[in-house]
Amino acid sequence: MQTRIVNIRAAAKAALEEGLCRVVAGYAPGAIAMRARPVFIDKPEDAGKLTWSSFCVGNLAGLLTQAAKQASGRIGVVAQGCVSRNLVGLIGEGRLAREDLYVIGVPCLGMAERRKIEARYPGRAIIAVEESEEVFVVRGKRREERMLRRDALRDNCYTCVQRNPVIYDALVAEPVPDTGGGDIDKVAAPWEKHPPGERLAAFQAAYANCTRCHACRDVCPLCYCSTCFVDESTPQWAGKTGDFADVATYHLLRALHCAGRCTDCGACESACPQNIKVRRLTSKLEKDVRALYGCQAGMALGESPPLTVFRPDDPQDFIK
Amino acid sequence: MTREAFSPRIAAFLCSWCSYGAADMAGVGRMGYPADFRVVRIPCTGRLSPKFILSALRQGADGVWVSGCHPGDCHFISGNLMVRRHFTLLKNLLEYVGVEPGRLHFSWISSAEADKFARVAADVAAAVRALGPASGALGALIKAV
Amino acid sequence: MAPRYVDLDKCIACGECAAKCPKRVPDPFNAGLANRKAAYILYGQTVPLKYAIDPEHCIYLAKGKCRACEKVCPTGAVNLDQTGVHRLLQVGAIVLAAGFKTFDPSHLDYLGLRRAPDVVTSLEYERLLSSSGPNRGHLKRPSDGAEPKKVAWIQCVGSRSLNKCDNAYCSGVCCMAAVKQALMTAEHVKDVADRAIYCMDMRTHGKNFESYYEKAQAQGVRFLRSRPHTLGPGPQGKGVRIRYASEARRELILDFDLAVLSVGLEAPRHFARLAETTGIAVNDLRFAAAQDLTPVASSRPGIYVCGCFTGPKDIPQSVVEASAAACAAAGQLVLARGAFVPETAIRPVIDVAGEPPRLGVFVCSCGANIAGVVDVDRVAGEAAKLPGVAHVENALFACSQDFQERIALAVREHGLNRVVVAACTPRTHEPLFQETIAGAGLNKYLFEMANIRNQASWVHAADPAAATDRAVDQVRMAAAKAARLRPLSEPKLSVIPRALVVGGGLAGMTAALELAKQDFTVHIVERQAELGGNARSLRATLGGQDVAMHLARLRRRVEEEGRITVHLGKVVAQVEGYVGRFATTLTAVGGHGESEVVEHGAAILAVGGQEAKPNDYGHGKHHRVMTHLEIDRALRFGSLDPYDVGSAVFIQCVGSREPKRPYCSRLCCTHTLKTVLYLKEKNPDLRAYVLYRDMRPYGERELLYQKARELGVIFIRFELETKPWVVVGGDDITVYVKDHILGDLLELPADILGLATGIEPSDAADLARMFKVPLDADGWLVEAHAKLRPVDFATDGVFMAGMAHYPKPIEEAVAQAQAAAGRAGALLAREEITLPGLISRIDAALCSGCGVCLAVCPYGAISRGEANLAEVNEALCKGCGLCAACCRSGAPSLAGFTDADILAQVDAMLEDHS
Repeated sequence: MQTRIVNIRAAAKAALEEGLCRVVAGYAPGAIAMRARPVFIDKPEDAGKLTWSSFCVGNLAGLLTQAAKQASGRIGVVAQGCVSRNLVGLIGEGRLAREDLYVIGVPCLGMAERRKIEARYPGRAIIAVEESEEVFVVRGKRREERMLRRDALRDNCYTCVQRNPVIYDALVAEPVPDTGGGDIDKVAAPWEKHPPGERLAAFQAAYANCTRCHACRDVCPLCYCSTCFVDESTPQWAGKTGDFADVATYHLLRALHCAGRCTDCGACESACPQNIKVRRLTSKLEKDVRALYGCQAGMALGESPPLTVFRPDDPQDFIK
Repeated sequence: MTREAFSPRIAAFLCSWCSYGAADMAGVGRMGYPADFRVVRIPCTGRLSPKFILSALRQGADGVWVSGCHPGDCHFISGNLMVRRHFTLLKNLLEYVGVEPGRLHFSWISSAEADKFARVAADVAAAVRALGPASGALGALIKAV
Repeated sequence: MAPRYVDLDKCIACGECAAKCPKRVPDPFNAGLANRKAAYILYGQTVPLKYAIDPEHCIYLAKGKCRACEKVCPTGAVNLDQTGVHRLLQVGAIVLAAGFKTFDPSHLDYLGLRRAPDVVTSLEYERLLSSSGPNRGHLKRPSDGAEPKKVAWIQCVGSRSLNKCDNAYCSGVCCMAAVKQALMTAEHVKDVADRAIYCMDMRTHGKNFESYYEKAQAQGVRFLRSRPHTLGPGPQGKGVRIRYASEARRELILDFDLAVLSVGLEAPRHFARLAETTGIAVNDLRFAAAQDLTPVASSRPGIYVCGCFTGPKDIPQSVVEASAAACAAAGQLVLARGAFVPETAIRPVIDVAGEPPRLGVFVCSCGANIAGVVDVDRVAGEAAKLPGVAHVENALFACSQDFQERIALAVREHGLNRVVVAACTPRTHEPLFQETIAGAGLNKYLFEMANIRNQASWVHAADPAAATDRAVDQVRMAAAKAARLRPLSEPKLSVIPRALVVGGGLAGMTAALELAKQDFTVHIVERQAELGGNARSLRATLGGQDVAMHLARLRRRVEEEGRITVHLGKVVAQVEGYVGRFATTLTAVGGHGESEVVEHGAAILAVGGQEAKPNDYGHGKHHRVMTHLEIDRALRFGSLDPYDVGSAVFIQCVGSREPKRPYCSRLCCTHTLKTVLYLKEKNPDLRAYVLYRDMRPYGERELLYQKARELGVIFIRFELETKPWVVVGGDDITVYVKDHILGDLLELPADILGLATGIEPSDAADLARMFKVPLDADGWLVEAHAKLRPVDFATDGVFMAGMAHYPKPIEEAVAQAQAAAGRAGALLAREEITLPGLISRIDAALCSGCGVCLAVCPYGAISRGEANLAEVNEALCKGCGLCAACCRSGAPSLAGFTDADILAQVDAMLEDHS
């Protein structure tokens, strides 16, 4: 981890000094343990503000469009596998240009689910977490505990298929194995295992606590519409209430809007204050798009998103 | 409401160039089918974003039927083929969250296939009737859960 | 003109006459497999949808009693006293397109057509498969109604045969029709057990046909190389027993549930009389005579012929010829162009901006057609309660002339600004009512129809209450949409009356000259330093017309024609604009030198193709191993003397119909036959061999094949797996091939070896991108519709001709060039074009510039404009709405079908549903 931090700082410093970019977007430590926040630096001497940890769960790609507009010149960004895939997606959607980016690539060991660590030590305040490739050292007031990285990984990071960045201009560590270890097809779309009659109840239970704060949308790098459908009033696609019909409409449509574009970065789930497993919907679509159309979002520049193309022989068994 | 007395309300989105014409011709041929459908004429199935299907269900349609031109016959070259992927993902997603498969139907019916129109209409109506009222597949039905 | 006995203006196609008519007659549309009445429509989609009385079968017209139809007709449209009229039309040109009839094999006892009930013709089978056919698409065999699991097709019934039918030619379409029927059979019969096609050669020589043939083989359709000698009833008189000889000359017997006779095409009935009346020449095959270089001109000036009237051909080629004939006629009529175009008056339009909706709802009874089932008073009563409705009126016949005046009056008296008519279907009647409200001063888009006849009373007669409920809802939905409608304009675009032809080969020059004949200026761009293309190498046409002479004549006419400008050694570098107003930049090949911009209203892409270079069979190792064009050139310029050739071997499908070049190049079989016949005629002692996979000299080209066999040319078939091989040693060429009948290995010494190498498209990728038109996987230009729009692109104002579309012989290239010129001329002849009102627009405030709409638009109508946001080119948009459906932000809105319009109808339909 320490190598990554040192190298990220060095790469950012060098890039700013040499004029390879005007500003670098990266992560800075959060105010409390197990948090990281986005930060923009534009002076080489500020490179020390940058950090790297397994808590960099926000997706920087979504912040860049605005930044790219404001920065007159190239913009640097610290990007692990999923973030780099989102950069590729945004380049394809005309939001960013490759030549305007300076990508500081980070081979990623997977991000930790802070709730999993907290759950392991209930009732105890965690002051700091230090990490190595294999182990997290969780420090409380009086004692230290050790936890295997594998046990603390976020669900999406456990099933990650692209931990190394797909595009980069500098790489801050040796490439790591691309997969996170888990089999995405075993865990994606978990309600498929339920009998059809029980799925609605599972769906409702999973989203019962949604307060419609829309944090999942706000953090998502794909959600950049100037007016989201959910905020439209004429016509009104979803009501403003917390009634399940409105909650369901919001989440279903949002998931559909992300279909074929979602990199399973997990930012939505990490951002949810209610701990709702938002990926239960998005992972279904990711799985279908992969199985039906052979597409995974953001893996290579120049690929057409699966919902902007078709094949004459696309599956259509359900059509009479 | 008893099953027998139940007459569903099915939103039918029909492409103006094909299935809507087939429905007209079914009329010319006096081919009877249940009166459960309320038809919205659209210029192409390519116009039909999943938003409309979700809206119809949210507002209480007991079923939705989308019908367009056979692959290769789209008046606009490829509207039906392009939107077919959206339909596939939507259909799968709704079934995944527990909306009964029998509420949502898709077909390709050319303007010459009046008979197929009447037959599919009867099938769609029967499938929806068998499920009973949705009262909003995503709305009130869920309230009953 | 024969009497119809029905007044077209009064008939509302309610069908009461047919329902009451007591006379049943076999329905010709269903090949006699079902009945219709003497009062009838031809079929459900007849245009215009109006009934007629069949005088041959009408009881009153035959026996003087009945008149049931007259009594029951609600509009008094039936007029049994109508008489035929003679009309004298003065015209400047005539197009004869009288079509064909199919061969009737019923007299050929050995085919068992009437002897075995389960033998049907391909036309009958077509109806049996059709969902509008006698069994409504359920496949049943005639004998017992059982679903056939084993089906056989017998090819060449009434084709390629002199001893049974005197039709020596190939009908050209039956092979593909049989393959199609075989594939469709599996769609009807889930557990199909056997599909066998008895054929001599499979002729799938059209664009995308070969892959279709391969698909059939992959799906298990069997292709048996045999011409069965007897078809008879199977056991218990059901099914069909087929006796045939296998390729190994063994007699075999197979039982099928049903057999289809693929009947050939012949000149239409009364052909001789029509030919005599019009004074046109007839050819040896009893079709209208036309020449290869003037394929749609009859022998009489001013009379043009097209379609199967001049010989058997498929739909795309017929449509091509139709456009070509129209082009030829337009050239003839150029001085009179526009003479009969009526002036359109400009009408004042009421400005409804800012007014709240004031809807008028008119509820039609259609006599008893609607009112007999739907409670129209209740519909009207419910309509009156709807928001925004200012006026409601019932109509006996909303489409009648006097009611149009009522609607116009109501608009004025009640200050209506939106009109809803609840009646039949907008597909037939929307234009009428739109015209009515436009006459009353309303923008025609302020109109909506509710379909309460075709889609309510006629289909829900069993449940009048439910039908009425549906009608009430459909009216509520229509009113909800109508209240939201906005007036729309139909922008006009002026057209630059000039064409650009890309490619100066035979097709390009022909198209340019046709357009010049129609008085348009034309620019030809040719990459090479001279005009002519592939035709420079060709010797003669199918019918023996000299290509070199024709080419010289064409070039001279192009050079002398003041309306044509030729740009040699130039290519298209950039294309801006759209239909009616293109600005195309031409530069020298290689990009150096001055560029020039041509402004034009239409473009014809005729960039051709070229003979593929073979890399096997010893080509390049011996100067007498030659391609088609190499032989043609050698013969033309004298370096090859037929008298010096003792033996000639030709190998077909060189590199064609193989994974690397999967398509059939269509013309190579005929080309080989022409060459071998030429050699054989010059030098009768020549030993000639043609090694082939399927001989595909379609249509009248079959006669060449027949003649070659008569002259002693040996034809040896091989399979893809057992291709011949060639040994070149010193001066000798030896070809080895396994004989398909004897199984022996043959050794054929050859003085010349001709390689039929097939055609590859020119590299048109850049051109296609600039004109926004597609290329298929093989590199051919893709037409807007393979059958019905064979020279158009989906992109308006751009057309194609010649081999860039697909390999084709000269006569077809000429016809296609004329067709493209005809289509382009029809556009250029208009001073301006009116664009539809129902098109898409982008709300810049909602657009985030993601580019989804650009990617999905089938017409390339959307581009990035200011601030990288999407912009619709209204000249290119056709109003499909894909952009609106695929956009996540709701930025595009399709006029008439906006999100809010559709949602308003969804809301309205569910308003009272709990």
